[in-house]
Amino acid sequence: MDVNTAVFAVSCSGTSTTGTRALQKERQLNQFLAGVERRALRIAEIAVRDRDEALDLVQDAMIKLVRNYSGRGKEEWTPLFYRILQNGVRDWHRRQAVRNRVIVWFGRKPKDDNDYDPVAAAPDPIGRAPDEELQNSEAMNSLETAVHGLPARQREAFMLRTFEGLDVAGTAVAMGCSQGSVKTHYSRAVHALRAELQEHWPGEDGSKEGGR
Amino acid sequence: MKYTDEQLSTRAKEAFDESVEKLDASTLSKLNRSRHKALAELAHPARHQWLRWMPATGIAAAVLVAVMIMQSPSGVEDVIAPANVTDMEILLGEDSIEMLEDLEFYSWLDLAELETDNDVG
Repeated sequence: MDVNTAVFAVSCSGTSTTGTRALQKERQLNQFLAGVERRALRIAEIAVRDRDEALDLVQDAMIKLVRNYSGRGKEEWTPLFYRILQNGVRDWHRRQAVRNRVIVWFGRKPKDDNDYDPVAAAPDPIGRAPDEELQNSEAMNSLETAVHGLPARQREAFMLRTFEGLDVAGTAVAMGCSQGSVKTHYSRAVHALRAELQEHWPGEDGSKEGGR
Repeated sequence: MKYTDEQLSTRAKEAFDESVEKLDASTLSKLNRSRHKALAELAHPARHQWLRWMPATGIAAAVLVAVMIMQSPSGVEDVIAPANVTDMEILLGEDSIEMLEDLEFYSWLDLAELETDNDVG
């Protein structure tokens, strides 16, 4: 084997290793995003109450994660992804507030959050008895309304802890605050939700949840 | 029955998971497209690098302009304005133009006078 052949072989070997790593990274990211995207969409949708806007926010979060944090360890991706998403949601609310002020200035009626109809926006039922479907749908609708009504930080803490299943440390990273703050926000959120949902969520014995 | 905090969280999680499972095909398709669009960033990482600096550059430029406006003393215009008027008078006055045309001569004359004074001294 002459020198040129040896150099070419080493070069090909290096390229192959790099290519394999890139493919592996892409596969890991694809797996991560596929695993998180549905829950992320629903979390964003509950926060902004608009599916199309939520889809845009999730897509932006995906792109930013891949662009900026694909080099990080995959165990860091979940809190980082949700941090990006929560920042996007906060920015969205700020833009909405400004837009509403401008619309009010020009004498139009701003879009009311309460115009959102979760029943109309809900997908078609699949394979469930109508009464069971209705009951679960109503439970989720009342939960969505109650969660949306929480202060922003409490809502974030509750959704990340309960819906996404992040631990306190992961939630703190995602929210950009201390673990103590996460515990406080989460505790307040649960208490507020319990008070709010007692009228809507019957207990297992069919009674109302609270007041007994 | 009264839910404990844990029971409430469990129930909420169940309702949420169910709503996730019920996402329609159209939405899932959009999510799929979004994911592939995001993954395409891996293939073209440098394409948007310069865009990352756009907001910072814009803010820096705005701050620079603001600082320049704020730092600029109000008297500057007053100082510059008479100078400009003087320039205009020089340029527009016929005598001054003649003087400017003979500027080299007057310079030589000054130099010659200095040398003469030195010789005399």
